[in-house]
Amino acid sequence: MNCTLHLNGTETALGVDGKDMLLNVLRDEVGLTSVRGTCGIGLCGTCTVIVDGQTTASCILPVGLADGKEVTTIEGVPSDDPVKVAFEKANAFQCGYCTPGMILTARAFLDENPDPTDDEIAEALAGNICRCGCYVKIADAVRLAAGMLRDEKVAA
Amino acid sequence: MADPRSGGSLRYSQDVAVEGMWHARIVRSPYAHARVVSIDGSALPENTVLLTPDDVADLSMYGCQIRDEAVLSRGEARFVGDPVAVVAAPTRRLADAALALVEVDYEELPAVFGIEDAVADGAVLVHERHHVSENDAAYFGIRPVDGSNVCHRFRIRHGDVEAGFAQADVVVEETFTTDGAAHVPMEPHATLARWTDDGRLEVWSGTQTPFNVRMDLAAIFGVDQSRVRVVCPPMGGSFGAKTFVRLEGLAAATARKAGRPIKMVLDRAEEWQTLNRHPSRITVRLGAKADGTLVAKTVTCHADTGAYADCGPGVAQKMGFAAPGPYRIPNVHVDSHCVYTNAPPNGAYRGYGQMQSIWASERTMDIMADRLGIDPLELRLKNLLREGDAYATGEVMHDVAFEECLRNAAEAIGWNEGREGKGLCVLMKGMQTPSRASVAVDALEDGTYRVRCATVEMGQGARYAIRTMAAELLGVGVDDVSFPDPDTDVSPYDTRTTSSRSTHMMSRALVEAVRNLREDGRTGVGEVADQGGLDPDTGQGIASSHWHQGAAGAVVEVDEETGSMKVRHVHASVYAGKVVVRAAAELQNEGSIIMGLGTSLFESIDFADGQVMNANLSDYNVPSITDLPRITHDLVEREGAPVHGLGETALPPIPAAIGNALQSFGIRPRSLPMTPERILDAIDERDAQAGTRELEAAE
Amino acid sequence: MTGAATHWHAPRSLREALDLREDYGDETVVVAGGTFLGVLINNGVLAPEAMLSLRDVPELRRIEIGRELTLGAMVTHREVENHPEVRRLWPALAHMFSLVASPRIRNRATVGGVLADADYASDPPSMLAALGARVVLEGPRGRRELPVEDFILGLYETAIGSDELLTSVVVPGGHEAAVYRKFRTRSHEDRPCVSVAAARHSGRLRVVVGAAAMQPQFFPDVCGMGASPREIADEYAGRIDALSDARGSAEYRRRVVAVEVRRAIEETHHG
Repeated sequence: MNCTLHLNGTETALGVDGKDMLLNVLRDEVGLTSVRGTCGIGLCGTCTVIVDGQTTASCILPVGLADGKEVTTIEGVPSDDPVKVAFEKANAFQCGYCTPGMILTARAFLDENPDPTDDEIAEALAGNICRCGCYVKIADAVRLAAGMLRDEKVAA
Repeated sequence: MADPRSGGSLRYSQDVAVEGMWHARIVRSPYAHARVVSIDGSALPENTVLLTPDDVADLSMYGCQIRDEAVLSRGEARFVGDPVAVVAAPTRRLADAALALVEVDYEELPAVFGIEDAVADGAVLVHERHHVSENDAAYFGIRPVDGSNVCHRFRIRHGDVEAGFAQADVVVEETFTTDGAAHVPMEPHATLARWTDDGRLEVWSGTQTPFNVRMDLAAIFGVDQSRVRVVCPPMGGSFGAKTFVRLEGLAAATARKAGRPIKMVLDRAEEWQTLNRHPSRITVRLGAKADGTLVAKTVTCHADTGAYADCGPGVAQKMGFAAPGPYRIPNVHVDSHCVYTNAPPNGAYRGYGQMQSIWASERTMDIMADRLGIDPLELRLKNLLREGDAYATGEVMHDVAFEECLRNAAEAIGWNEGREGKGLCVLMKGMQTPSRASVAVDALEDGTYRVRCATVEMGQGARYAIRTMAAELLGVGVDDVSFPDPDTDVSPYDTRTTSSRSTHMMSRALVEAVRNLREDGRTGVGEVADQGGLDPDTGQGIASSHWHQGAAGAVVEVDEETGSMKVRHVHASVYAGKVVVRAAAELQNEGSIIMGLGTSLFESIDFADGQVMNANLSDYNVPSITDLPRITHDLVEREGAPVHGLGETALPPIPAAIGNALQSFGIRPRSLPMTPERILDAIDERDAQAGTRELEAAE
Repeated sequence: MTGAATHWHAPRSLREALDLREDYGDETVVVAGGTFLGVLINNGVLAPEAMLSLRDVPELRRIEIGRELTLGAMVTHREVENHPEVRRLWPALAHMFSLVASPRIRNRATVGGVLADADYASDPPSMLAALGARVVLEGPRGRRELPVEDFILGLYETAIGSDELLTSVVVPGGHEAAVYRKFRTRSHEDRPCVSVAAARHSGRLRVVVGAAAMQPQFFPDVCGMGASPREIADEYAGRIDALSDARGSAEYRRRVVAVEVRRAIEETHHG
């Protein structure tokens, strides 16, 4: 089928099989290696992308379901985005493999909940596995980012 | 400059691509033990390559410690998942499709599962004879027992244990077990192999052991080591999973047949068929005088290494030599065995055998404390090794910090404010010994410096730490020191990136390298070598040139109706000597604690007749952010102390600290993980014993 | 993963969807949120030649609130969980949906999809059954309703006809109390080892145990016997033919059922 993704703000037309997973299309057809597979069952979060504002497991999303949608990967998040900056400041990664999925998850979450409690942060990131075990600093990063985003709003 | 990790631009081993490469998948045995009768690829479409045992008949056997593995099992598959053929096709999807078209006929053979059956008389033998490897990972006097499933046995003979137990007022004996566990690096195993026009083999692989892989590949293909190049791009985690030859032999052999580069990336489920952590069974007998003085200890360890030894002999050895624990015990005997079964191979796993024996030994300490009516902290403090004491191996301990770590852990969990629900553990853990590390530093024309070093990056932050140390010695900023991917063609020899040795060893090698650079002007090479090793029959010698030291404390609550446990707080105290990069050291501590929580609470490979029943991340759980208790830790530093490794020290004490916290309720867990079901069984056992005692009292 | 490209049907109305379903039946795999289907395709269990996507059928996305709550089949878990009126009037239901998997999965997983999958370890079936919910099926013979406990026939097995679509779920309102207890034995993110949903409506108790057996376990005669929470719980534990998996053995599950059913019923008294 012909499938159009609004990928990081650019209309991207692809000839695909609708049952191919979005993850494979993004990696193999588009060449976005920032979107990474791990579990293949939607559980671990390394393949997270944002589809129409909502975090989505690209490893189990048949691309036919993404047709016509806005798809955002980490490349669509500017390098000075407070969440990215906060992850760097808080040293919230080791191997970095899960980091794009973490940042995208945190990004979508903070859009919904700009002033979260610690428990809400944990619940929001619960489906993103970091086997290096950086969770303590990841939670720090999200708190830091929330503060930066609130400050931005006040300044604006 | 933005970090390539936050921007997603870091490329891992799985992202390596070269012109003309094909993708390969492994045809695996569905039986735990079977003769491969025939392999039929006639249904394969054009544009596929099938690698069968006939194609690799000229290749040599290999194995980092025991030479028991072939590239493709030669007519006999020894575990569910043993590679029997490889198919390659132009794309991954075509390779996936081709995989389903290969027909293999098997004749099932009797198999052996579990330690008990494997060491029983008349057990099915997984391998008839055990050939010690020429690889330099087989450095420690391997003692295989031909005609049995034991591929290595290690002993410590220190003092006279019979005489020791005769002096004891209290003797306790318990048997502990640990289940197999999976490493679950987020990035799966990934390798690319190609043969150059002049017949050299080049391999890009996510591996912690580039030089060991080069050695084994050279042996497999019968070429000089200089004809093999191994390059190590960053890994998305490893934790011991990506050590020694994994996919490299298969990819290279397939590339040879295909006449083109071959890429292999494992599916998640295949990770459980590639390398796991050794299940173990450990029996501890400990004798003490009424005042708490330890007088004798015997430990018998069995590590289930699966169908191929891999570094299992080394794991069993370290399991054995960590078993006495950081205590002055005049009489100690240890017997540790590495045992074959028809399970997927087990190998290096963060903590390397020592988590298992620390679990057993430190649980025994609390059982002893209960029997003696002595506070578990006091019992430990009374017997701890101190500066200048000799360990059971005869080596004299220096730069000792056990007491400080233990007191820190006790204080952090409020030990003195009541000990209900609280537990402690103190540990010593060895580093790869003997070992050799070399590093080169080049002055580049643009005024910056380049470190050539075989230490690989798997998330532990070694590259940044080594760049930081080099920059400090060179008097420049970290950004003026580059560190390209390790490459056996240009990086000087290093034993391997394991056992938390790299920062420690490279900190020393760099001093010499920078000194030599100053003399030479362009390049300086530094090398350090630590001697040592143990007599495998007596366990006397130098087990570790450098001991990792630490302690942990845990606070738990239990729902006694369901056995469900809530860990409230975990603290780890780790001796760092000198911290190089604080954030990285903290991350390693936190990561070790969290992995230790998984091991403690729920990580377990579920086998049924050798088949892994939970080879996916829904049925095999790893800790998520919502599983964390309050986590605290401290890094103990000392003026003038050397850099100590700390990449895994905080993992091994976590299970025993939690188990000992349960012991404070009279619940005595003996198996890891401590699932609610096992805790409920232990509660039943406690209540049954209390009932028996009441009955006896009534009579 | 292989073979010819999948034929992708994307109807834009319920009428169109029902016609396609009638025409193609089970040859065409119905896809809702895709979360379970994606797993099956990745595992090679399923290689559909044609798919019927309900994504663009507006009638299936409705949430209607009256004396009863009607959830269209394509309503996502997140929509239920975050809906202010659902949270106010069916708090246990909203809470239960918030406990399913991760926000990322709940963003896509649908109410219809989770029921049609009939996986034993899913959270929603037991809660919906305890609330007395009915599944609405539509097809060429019209519309029919089945109680959730009658709709799920076994593991991955439901009463949907090959020419029918699950179009909505209707949940009665006005419960005096409703609770959902998710008992996990491993990670907090794990699926339940045992789940217990209990609800009281017009003085009548419904207790449904999930994840302990191949399908939700409901014993109306036990609930109606007016016994104590402990007696009901023991009876449930005795009657359930529990399964064993990595989350617990059958024997352990029965012990947990005896505890968790009692606690759930007690909570309905206090809640």
